[in-house]
Amino acid sequence: MLIPRRVKHRKQHHPGRSGAAKGGTSIAFGDFGIQALEPAYVTNRQIEAARIAMTRHIKRGGKVWINIYPDRPLTKKPAETRMGSGKGSPEWWVANVKPGRVVFELAGVPEELAREAMRRAQHKLPMKTRFVVREGGA
Amino acid sequence: MTKLAATARTEFGKGAARRTRRAGLVPAVLYGHGTDPVHVALPGHQTFLALKTTNVLLEIELDGKTELAIARDVQRDPIRDSIEHVDLLIVRKGEKVIVEVPVHVVGESAPGTIHLVDLQQLSIEAEATNLPEAIEVSVEGLEAGTNIFAADVTLPEGASLVSDPELLVASVTVPQTSSEDEAAEADEAAEAPAAAAPAEGEPAEG
Repeated sequence: MLIPRRVKHRKQHHPGRSGAAKGGTSIAFGDFGIQALEPAYVTNRQIEAARIAMTRHIKRGGKVWINIYPDRPLTKKPAETRMGSGKGSPEWWVANVKPGRVVFELAGVPEELAREAMRRAQHKLPMKTRFVVREGGA
Repeated sequence: MTKLAATARTEFGKGAARRTRRAGLVPAVLYGHGTDPVHVALPGHQTFLALKTTNVLLEIELDGKTELAIARDVQRDPIRDSIEHVDLLIVRKGEKVIVEVPVHVVGESAPGTIHLVDLQQLSIEAEATNLPEAIEVSVEGLEAGTNIFAADVTLPEGASLVSDPELLVASVTVPQTSSEDEAAEADEAAEAPAAAAPAEGEPAEG
């Protein structure tokens, strides 16, 4: 599972949710990709689940790129705790994904197989996404 | 060659640009050959269709004059994929220009291997009126471990390479199997308890 090795501050403010992706909006490495259409906090568990869904389907062959990294901690106060007494403890690691961002990329497999593998991965993600093909053809 | 009828823009800024886009036009700028930049508006749908072809040569009609141009930069909306702005570079017949051309891999590598494209675009110098849409790289029958460098790529006639000839364009490798993936997961699981001293692999601060 993706997790930062060392952080400067254990607890951070919530990442901003507004706006669209400024970069990483086109396919850079592979032939096919999953592009986010909504903003979302994608946890490291969701990234891992999507990756496993994809790699299990393509079985042999292909290469997967993960273009997002869960580097923002989210905290949670324990259940049945009164308000106050400081910020809760870090609970999740999330990637702050903005609309337009290409989240996963895939290469080395036929388009039909890539579509199905990515459809399975899309079900593991918390936002609306779409399948995209590299500009200029695969 | 695609003909586009342009109209000169008289108002500028984001408000004016948005009005232009609402009217079904695309703001663009035309420059090159030492001339002052000319701000124009292009027909939206025709421009969208024309720019589906890579390195397309455009014939821009403006105030009764015609200029040959290529799209130097196209700004698109990442969600809607609509064109927001186009930079047009004026070219002349016979002139050589440097452009980025996508790499297309053709053929099947040896059984049990896959090919990976490491460089999606190659920079080449070619005649403006005869720019290639793509550069084909064949991996037919190549064995695992074979690398294709920029210098090995066959360019169209009259074109020369601008990119570093030592850049890796494509490679043929043996794919990672799912069993390897599972083995990697097992390794991670084995490592996790040992490294999990700071509360469930929590990153160290500082």
